[in-house]
Amino acid sequence: MQTEIIHNPGSAAARVHLENGETLTAEGGSMIAMSNDVTLETTTKKKGSGGGLLKAAKRLFGGESFFFNHYTAGTTGADIWLAQTLPGDMMEMQLDGQTVILQAGSFVACSAGVDFDTGWQGFKNLLSKESLFWLRVSGKGKLILSSYGAIYPIQVNGEYIVDTGHIVGFDETLNFKLSKAGKSWVSSILGGEGLVCRFKGHGTVWCQSHNAPSFGKILGPKLRPR
Amino acid sequence: MKTSIEGRPAFAHFHVDLEPGESIISESDAMASMSADLDMKARFNGGFLSALLKRFFGGESLFVNEFTNNTSATRRVTLVQSTPGDMSSMELNGNSICLQSGAYIASTTGVKLGLKWAGFASFIGREGLFKLIASGDGTVWYGAYGALLERVVDGELIVDSSHLVIYEPQMTLKVQMAGGIFSSFFGGEGLVTRVNGKGKITIQSRSLSGLKSWLNPRL
Amino acid sequence: MNPQPSEYESRIEARPDFSFLTVRLQSGQTIKVEASAMATMDTNLRMKTKMRGGLGRFLTGESLFINEFTAQNGPGELGIAPGSPGDMDHISLKESEVLFLQNTAYVASSPSVNLETKWQGLVKGLFSGESLFLVKCTGPGDLWFNTFGGMITIDVNGSYTVDSGHIVAFSSSLEYRVGRIGGYKSLFFSGEGLVCHFSGTGRLWIQTRKIGAFASWVFPFRPSKRK
Repeated sequence: MQTEIIHNPGSAAARVHLENGETLTAEGGSMIAMSNDVTLETTTKKKGSGGGLLKAAKRLFGGESFFFNHYTAGTTGADIWLAQTLPGDMMEMQLDGQTVILQAGSFVACSAGVDFDTGWQGFKNLLSKESLFWLRVSGKGKLILSSYGAIYPIQVNGEYIVDTGHIVGFDETLNFKLSKAGKSWVSSILGGEGLVCRFKGHGTVWCQSHNAPSFGKILGPKLRPR
Repeated sequence: MKTSIEGRPAFAHFHVDLEPGESIISESDAMASMSADLDMKARFNGGFLSALLKRFFGGESLFVNEFTNNTSATRRVTLVQSTPGDMSSMELNGNSICLQSGAYIASTTGVKLGLKWAGFASFIGREGLFKLIASGDGTVWYGAYGALLERVVDGELIVDSSHLVIYEPQMTLKVQMAGGIFSSFFGGEGLVTRVNGKGKITIQSRSLSGLKSWLNPRL
Repeated sequence: MNPQPSEYESRIEARPDFSFLTVRLQSGQTIKVEASAMATMDTNLRMKTKMRGGLGRFLTGESLFINEFTAQNGPGELGIAPGSPGDMDHISLKESEVLFLQNTAYVASSPSVNLETKWQGLVKGLFSGESLFLVKCTGPGDLWFNTFGGMITIDVNGSYTVDSGHIVAFSSSLEYRVGRIGGYKSLFFSGEGLVCHFSGTGRLWIQTRKIGAFASWVFPFRPSKRK
């Protein structure tokens, strides 16, 4: 499997080339084009996984009809083009046994050896109902993720603060603490929910430079009423 | 202080590496991430009355943040705008530049921010009654939705008002309401600015009003 | 398609995210531009004709508004910024060469390019209910078109399937057929799954984003109608 990401960080799309028999699991709706020697299976579970992600997955993605497409290339190989809904960046991550915590909306696709579950509850208590859900991703293989904004890494070596709306994913080895904006900070300072995450320890945090709700709040009011 | 702007022009963001003792001022909701031991202080943007004026008429926030490095090592803060788009910086050496409201992102402490009257037509077109003037010694960072493109003016140029970002103070602007031949082919609110004089301007290659006009019929 | 020389002096900046077209017209030269895309213009550019009602716009079939500009008494420049963020490209069509273009992608063209919005063989239902349709562009002349998001060019030799919302343009040598993928009709919403199967040899332009999905995302941020 080879991946090529183009037009990043603003209008990113990924071209995944599959060899004969290789499989790619991608979020439904993320395929924009494909060459034709491909079989496509649509399910609501991850291919090969025992239990269904059904209910958890629906909740994860805001209750909308949620499904995965499993693409398997035929003898001549296949090209599959993937993209997300909003403008933004994409990134390929090679997992080699480590675990990352990923904002659920950032997941685009993965190869066969990658597993993900929705059991991670680390941010649960402090975040409101409308906020993001998180995936715990592990295994060996390729992971393709997307973001709103440009993705930039932070190598944490001590303590670092990230506005929660700007987190794409992070190494599970990091310690973190969520807090609302402190008393000395005016609440208008932060976009999003006014929540920041303090990361501690050693590991990587992948940040996105922008956050979609901030843009939605600026653009939305200018548009035709619904 | 070392700074770098990345992600241009789609999602420009800039990393500021502050040396011990250094500070940078930014508009209020600009922080995406920062070292935990940087000090952050919210301040009123200028005096209280001018801050109010800026808020209601200039579209700037009441507050600015000042980030100061009170540690003994280099510390980083990453700053962004609330819309996607491009970012750039300009060095000021006692000179001044005029910025459209909303274009200001950050500046070093030697730069002063003031207001300039933009005229009633500009207000009706929702471009703001005032434009911001940045002057002094230091660096000012600015941005807009779209890519920032420089243009040289020698004489007169007609610019859709929602696409003008920066102009030099010696240039004169005349804002005209939509009407006649201009309404049908300029986007946005149909407000145009006639820029006169000799100097450089910066335009943005997209506008939120253009985006709205494109999107509304398809909602 | 073999490159043809362009009649115009032009440049495209800020690809692929916020592409901006600048065209420098020679004295007396004319260009057609999509209405409401003008961002800058020199003062000696004139709109060529006035339509009835004095609007000065050509309405071509369904919703394609076009203005014509001519530089007078010297050269003049115009700067064109489409409303949507994205990429832009230019092609020079040969005599009788045909390109099918999604209507919101039109930016500008030579007066010699024939633009038809209602033509023999127009397939309805290619784009599901999004007031999108195909414009038939016939050369000779220059044509500029833009995308929502980045532009991907694919030289098809065999077959290719594209989600309909991502189609921008394709050469007339390609055969195309509308279909659905997967057969899981109940799992799709807002036109998802509507695809176009292309076959033969020719060039295909697709965009990395689509309007319908973006409109769905922005929905909750819009003001609600007062009752």
